[in-house]
Amino acid sequence: MIIAYVVLILYAVVSLFPFLWSAIVSLTPMRYTENGVTTGTDIMKWPPEINLFKWPPEFFGAPATGENYVQVFKITPYARWILNTIIYAALVTIGHLIFDALGGYAFARLRFPLRDLWFALFLATLMIPGHVTLIPNYNLMVRFGFVNTYYGLFLPKLTGVFGIFLMRQFFMGIPREMEEAARIDGASIIKTYFKVVLPISKPAISALAIYIFVGTWNDFLWPLLMTSRKEMFTLTVGLDFYRTSYYTYWQYMMAASIMMTIPMIIIFLIFQRQFIDTGVSSGVKG
Amino acid sequence: MKLNFKTREAMVGYLFAAPIIITILIFTIYPVFAGLYYSFTNYQPTEAQKFNMTFVPEESVSFHLGVFPDEEGLVKNELLSLFDPVTFLTLDMGVKLNAEQKEAVSSFLDTDKIVEDFLAGRLNSSVSVKDFMKEYMSSKSELFTRYVPEFVGLKNFREMFKDQYFWISLKNAFVYSIVVVPIQTLLAILLAVAANMKIMGQRFFKTVFFLPSISSSAAISMIFWLIYSKPGVLNRFLSTFGFQAVDWLNEPNTALGAIMVMNIWTTAGYFMITFLAALQSIPSSIYEASQLDGAKFWKTFWKITVPLLRPQMLFVSIMGIIGCLQVFDQIYFLIKNMRNITISYYIYKNAFEYHRMGYASAIAMVLFLIIFAITALQRKLIKEESYF
Repeated sequence: MIIAYVVLILYAVVSLFPFLWSAIVSLTPMRYTENGVTTGTDIMKWPPEINLFKWPPEFFGAPATGENYVQVFKITPYARWILNTIIYAALVTIGHLIFDALGGYAFARLRFPLRDLWFALFLATLMIPGHVTLIPNYNLMVRFGFVNTYYGLFLPKLTGVFGIFLMRQFFMGIPREMEEAARIDGASIIKTYFKVVLPISKPAISALAIYIFVGTWNDFLWPLLMTSRKEMFTLTVGLDFYRTSYYTYWQYMMAASIMMTIPMIIIFLIFQRQFIDTGVSSGVKG
Repeated sequence: MKLNFKTREAMVGYLFAAPIIITILIFTIYPVFAGLYYSFTNYQPTEAQKFNMTFVPEESVSFHLGVFPDEEGLVKNELLSLFDPVTFLTLDMGVKLNAEQKEAVSSFLDTDKIVEDFLAGRLNSSVSVKDFMKEYMSSKSELFTRYVPEFVGLKNFREMFKDQYFWISLKNAFVYSIVVVPIQTLLAILLAVAANMKIMGQRFFKTVFFLPSISSSAAISMIFWLIYSKPGVLNRFLSTFGFQAVDWLNEPNTALGAIMVMNIWTTAGYFMITFLAALQSIPSSIYEASQLDGAKFWKTFWKITVPLLRPQMLFVSIMGIIGCLQVFDQIYFLIKNMRNITISYYIYKNAFEYHRMGYASAIAMVLFLIIFAITALQRKLIKEESYF
């Protein structure tokens, strides 16, 4: 029992420490003035001279400040990157919400020619590593002229096999009686879907939405390829902006890292249950 | 007209399934075949751009013939005899040509018309190579409108087997998976077992352990870049135990290991949730029985817990291996040394930095085969599993 506590607490410290350390660095001023002398802050200083019993607290011997968080918006188009990331993540999420639910329902309930063949094909595509399709997809976007546009970012990602499987699994689990009752009342398939099926699918759909939103927010490789102008960067791509081959603006970089992580932590804290449901239990069955 | 239910069902079915079918066809199926085709060619995107380049024909012709259009006493036939189409295109227009294009140029380039327009001063505005060739080729101008990569057969694959960086990156990807997957799986099980005991704050621990896996790999890479840096906090911490400072990410012997540790840190908590869910569904009577026997913790762990978690372990390790073989983001951000790259990063580097998409596609195909084999193995293993 005690060993269990020791293990858990130790690993909790290990889990949290990198976040705390970067938060501390992000709150340390680039330079500070003491007795009329301005010096640069050394964030590699050891011991780190952390004093939390003061206001503002002191890190690395300098009074904590939110200045870096403001500077990040000034030296880079950070606000634009936030906007780009929100647009990218939101459009992809909306696409998945609509198309994955539709497709999942079609494959769960409707009979149409070649259905099983399509489904087997989808299963097979799960084996294809992303780097195989990357180059042709990139060239496709170049040919369409979609590089450095939102279309290039979100178009290939509007729906996906994972979401289709998840929704199909969910729809197969709900009883047929309600749909049959609606049909006997004369409702069309489309009407049944929107009036009967969708309203009871909220838990599955919201779990999928959160999963996709977080995944897209954190996506790196595709935005890296699709954006070359810094006005079109997403937050993950922009992060490399705070370091050059010669110098790293540690404070800005950490402030930017913390700022892009906080929304995900908030989403996670609010929707914990959905998180723990989608990622894992569905996968084990698949 | 009233359609019967079956027909309507089929129509609605296709309507509903159309987005996913179209997406898969365009962005997965087509790319696989396109990639397969590229892998047998010398596809170079920089070459694909060459026909869209613009130039001023008058300048090129001037260079080629060594005269200006407004000079006096120019005789068309004399200039024509000096005009060599292939040299004109390759040297004075700066367009690389393959054998077929060279032949087409020497037989079909309308030099007569070019010289005539040159003398008349009609060539002084800038134009794209594509449009110029359309205008002045009497035939086969389509060779210059679309870039067609050369078919090179198995050359890319032969080159790959002699390419030391291919082998290094492939080996690194395998080493990476083989080290990361067992450790993260075992760590996740240990954490799950600890969290499954009747302890306070289970919810807190679950939340904290899950945090790393919802943060972006970009932000995590940067945070660890700070921690791993030579004067950074990890070295300071280790120095209190008398260790020498190590430049973790720039030292070829430690860089990959450092990223492995980071990866384990990121994913162990995530997989812990999988195991915890499984553990909670194991009837506690099994454990109680073993405790009455006075069985020790480790014995219970190895004899009961681990075997019961076999399906989840299989799932987690196969998913882990497939994920690890494709590790990219962390390598992109943190590795500056060609000795420590992994295969997916090498694909990226070839395609988007060296502009050798044909070669990159060939490597991607090899990665595809490897992952295909592992997935097939997984299917087999999981099928066997269900017999138990």
